[in-house]
Amino acid sequence: MTPPAEFVCPPRLAAWLVNLFTPAEEAESIPGDLLEEFSQLASKSGVAIARSWYWRQAVKTVAHLAAAGFRLAPWCTTAAVLGGFFLMRFVSGLPEKAIFAVLERYQVFEHHFQLYVFFASSGIAIGHVVASIFVGCMVAWVAKGREMVATMTLALVLCALIIVALVWVATHGPVDVAWILWSFADPPALVVGGVVVRSRRSIAAASTPLKP
Amino acid sequence: MADRDYLGEFEHIVILALLRLADRAYGMTVRQEIESRTRREVSIGAVYATLDRLEVKGYVASRCGDPTPERGGRSKRFFRVTARGVEAVNRTQRAIQSMTAGLDLIGSYS
Repeated sequence: MTPPAEFVCPPRLAAWLVNLFTPAEEAESIPGDLLEEFSQLASKSGVAIARSWYWRQAVKTVAHLAAAGFRLAPWCTTAAVLGGFFLMRFVSGLPEKAIFAVLERYQVFEHHFQLYVFFASSGIAIGHVVASIFVGCMVAWVAKGREMVATMTLALVLCALIIVALVWVATHGPVDVAWILWSFADPPALVVGGVVVRSRRSIAAASTPLKP
Repeated sequence: MADRDYLGEFEHIVILALLRLADRAYGMTVRQEIESRTRREVSIGAVYATLDRLEVKGYVASRCGDPTPERGGRSKRFFRVTARGVEAVNRTQRAIQSMTAGLDLIGSYS
């Protein structure tokens, strides 16, 4: 009698990516199908081949799910992206105002000049990134079930605008490298917001008992 | 409007796979059936995106099965072709047959 096959897990990162992009109504079927076929392949052809197959499937599946997510709910996704864009414009000015209000309130300029310089430069940039995460969370919250598609679309729009702005700045004068680096931190921060909301929803759905 | 539509290439293949698999048709078996018969690698995401589209058109219907341990406690989603789906396959098949009638595809165009 052969011993029972040892349970092999699929690549964690690939499985996580699939879960992120899988819509709520397919949360059981797609990851379940992939896991079942992965287990079959691992016992038949070996773990290495099964893991490579899983990665290929995950990448193609994520691309299809992202495209299908937009096609199935184009207006909802577009509205979330547009709302996020205008919210981003409103929110992005707030860290600067808040930081300068605090700096002036406590007269940091006079007593701790280095601290003042840090908050007036890096502090504002960090504030922008935090604001982007917040906007990403809001967009994902509105685009329920299509969180990653909505936040990634907004991130791509933002990336395109940053590149246009960068080209304009480069052709009109010297370029501040730090400014470029901080600008490119905003789109990934938006996606991080989407990941946070999506992960929380997945955990909440997994802990909810199934209806009989 | 949908009643006059022809199936797309992949939609056609997916519905034929569902008809072949009958009551064993769920994501994994559909994917494997297509891969073994067409000899092209198909992603599970492409299969589900097409099945969802066909379900919206009313050509297929789905139901949830019981959770199984080899799927990490997740349930299967079984699919079946509806009467409208069978009609759409027949319509598409007839169109293809009509378009290929009289053509010597292997001799003249290879």
